[in-house]
Amino acid sequence: MDQKIKFTGILGTAAAVVAMIGILAGCATMGEKPKPTMVPTERGTVLFLDKYEFKSPPQNWALMKNLEGGDFELGFMLIEPGAFPTQTTFMYDDQPYGGSQDLETRAKYYCTRFLFNSGIDLRVTKQEKVILGGKDAIALSLEGENPNRDEKAKSKVYLVKKGNRIVSFVCTQWRPMNGTYSQEPFDYYEVFVQSFKFLKKDFYETFEEELTKAGL
Amino acid sequence: MEAHNRDLYLYKRLNTQVLGVSMDDPITLKYFSESLMLEFPVISNQLPWMGMAYGAYRDKRPFLPDGTPHWFGRRTVIVDKRGILRYIKDGSPDNKEILNFLLNLEKEFREKK
Repeated sequence: MDQKIKFTGILGTAAAVVAMIGILAGCATMGEKPKPTMVPTERGTVLFLDKYEFKSPPQNWALMKNLEGGDFELGFMLIEPGAFPTQTTFMYDDQPYGGSQDLETRAKYYCTRFLFNSGIDLRVTKQEKVILGGKDAIALSLEGENPNRDEKAKSKVYLVKKGNRIVSFVCTQWRPMNGTYSQEPFDYYEVFVQSFKFLKKDFYETFEEELTKAGL
Repeated sequence: MEAHNRDLYLYKRLNTQVLGVSMDDPITLKYFSESLMLEFPVISNQLPWMGMAYGAYRDKRPFLPDGTPHWFGRRTVIVDKRGILRYIKDGSPDNKEILNFLLNLEKEFREKK
């Protein structure tokens, strides 16, 4: 009797192992490869997580992506030859500084916060109203220095009205005080901004629709 | 604070009033609010009965290394229309979570009405 029970037990274990291998094998064959973050299109653009489409800079620019929430949605960085901090970053930030829904007010506030922690004494060199992707926007050009840290920075910022909210595109080039700014990275930034398309409704657009549906 | 300020138009649609509470004195808070262009009230609660009532005591030492008092941590609470505490979360607020929570709360309130 004992023998029989043991035998059944061994068979049962074997069946379980086979089943396990079957399941694992199934997992191995059925498991999908993780989708790449950026997928090239025939139009010379890339699709970013199926959320945005834009022309990306050359491959020597590193992609910056938020994994756990933070200050920006996506961006690119180029470490350029030269002494620290010779580099340029640009990004799409869907929650720029400030809360006002008015572009002018938001721009005024934004300039009080932008690069504040860097100690750069920043000044607006140009501010103009523009249309970006059919949306009202303000383009800000800023420059400043921090002699104590031997750094200077030059930025171009677009604050864009998107529905009830304001989103932004930001490019900042860092140089040591005696360094010279280069135009090429800003050209890539302009191409990125001008080609940028929103492929999906964002959280806030969807949420506002839900509020309307709920009669709020 | 800035994120709440950004979402104020949504809070209004959700019939929600945002209140900030701090142990700082009213003059400090006035300048703080102005510098951030906050459009909701910030309450000065120097005798911290409110922080105590809502359990916002930190579980860490009450003073920072430089001697700054630091008795309370950041806590977000949502009080419903009947005065019942419905949501408590420590640390930086997750505004999207809060907005979804408020929407469900408003729906619940309307169903019961």
